Amino acid sequence: MKKEISALMDGELFEDEAENLFDQIKRDPATHKDWEIYHLIGDVLRQPEHIHCDLSEKVRERMQGEPTVLAPRGRAVKQRARAVALSAAASLAAVGVVAWMSLQVSPEAASQMAMQQPALRPVSAQIQPKSNDYLMAHQEFSPSIDMNGGASYIRTVSYSTDEK
Amino acid sequence: MRMYVALRTVLLGGLLLAAANTYAEERQISLDWLKTVAFAAHQTDYSGVFVYQYDNRVETSRIIHVVESDSEYEKLESLDGPKREIIRHHGQVWCYINHKMVQVDSQQVRGRFPSLLPEQLSALSSNYLIKEAGMERVAGYNTQVILFQPKDNLRYAHKIWAHTDSGLLLKAAVLNDKKQVIEQYAFTQLQIGGNIDRSWVGAKGFMGHDAGLPVSPETAMGGTAINSGWVVDTLPAGFKKTREIQRPMRGKHAPVTQIVFSDGLGAISIFIEPADGDEDDADGLSSRGAVNLYHKVLDKHLITAVGEVPPRTVMQALDSVRYNGK
Repeated sequence: MKKEISALMDGELFEDEAENLFDQIKRDPATHKDWEIYHLIGDVLRQPEHIHCDLSEKVRERMQGEPTVLAPRGRAVKQRARAVALSAAASLAAVGVVAWMSLQVSPEAASQMAMQQPALRPVSAQIQPKSNDYLMAHQEFSPSIDMNGGASYIRTVSYSTDEK
Repeated sequence: MRMYVALRTVLLGGLLLAAANTYAEERQISLDWLKTVAFAAHQTDYSGVFVYQYDNRVETSRIIHVVESDSEYEKLESLDGPKREIIRHHGQVWCYINHKMVQVDSQQVRGRFPSLLPEQLSALSSNYLIKEAGMERVAGYNTQVILFQPKDNLRYAHKIWAHTDSGLLLKAAVLNDKKQVIEQYAFTQLQIGGNIDRSWVGAKGFMGHDAGLPVSPETAMGGTAINSGWVVDTLPAGFKKTREIQRPMRGKHAPVTQIVFSDGLGAISIFIEPADGDEDDADGLSSRGAVNLYHKVLDKHLITAVGEVPPRTVMQALDSVRYNGK
């Protein structure tokens, strides 16, 4: 099962395989937990400086037993399978959407996509909406106003995906 | 032989000089671009839809910016997720929160023109390698790409795509030291100038108490410049204090001290407020796109550092905050 989740995250499953796995993830809490842990592992690998608790140690320990995550991605990924897997993944996590958007809007991100997904942050380290007022107060004096105009204000009103 | 050496020296010197000139010229062109971009951001009428990509998310928003004889009016509305709207005019900011429009900020208006001063531009070129990185097409317009590569790892790299005709920024990306995009804005549709909807600006009632946007007694008084006695010892080279104010903040009982430092591309704000013993969960670092936020309780004060700089830079800044008396 863990191998399959890893393969799904790498976009290496075919449509029907991916759908079956998603059904399983939805139904089985333990599988869902695995799914979350795998994403956390990915985050930690990409952004080690953001981890400020013992979490990274624990995750590293767990990774010892899970070498598949560290293995390089298969090069011969079928484009169709990848696209399907990504769009399916979007229903569970926004990761897929980002990857797709990167292809649309950014050549840098697109070139990164060949190797890895865009930089992600651990969920626990997201700025909480209750701190939005600090961002708002900062934004007015930030030089990004002179560059991006008011577009950068969108940062200050970001909503939480955790709200359900 | 002597002649040959002399000739070679002259040739070599000439080559070096030419190279240095080319570099200086290129840097000057890039800096001129920056001034054009800053000017365009404030002085252009435009209306468009942009995507904001950060962390693992993408959000789509619409923005309308118009310049009337008195000043700028701007409306930003989210097209994804819960309805959020921000209206800015003349240093005042309203935000649609919990199904109603509230005033969240009111600051003395900065100069009518962008605040990129010559000294900030020279600070920029001493802390970033600035270079033009070709032409690209964004949202159907031709753009000049300019890259700001920091000379240390205490700030992020910035890449901007400026419209070649108007100078308006059509795309902007912030990259970390691994060259990963951590945040980017990009217009997907944009109208520059021409017939842009101004009905919402409506001179009548826009600022009024009844028909238009509410004025909140909590925030309306804005900030006042002060010398708080708080100092920040560790900041990256080129970060200069641009503001030190005492300001009201929504949901805070006491005024909050805000000190802002900037290197021309990024800024760090330090907020200092009395701790009310309620900050158990306050300590720690969090981030959203290029912005990092770090909280800490120090001597019965809650200190918050916010900035579009790497985590280690906000943490270093906050850890060096101390009270120096008045």
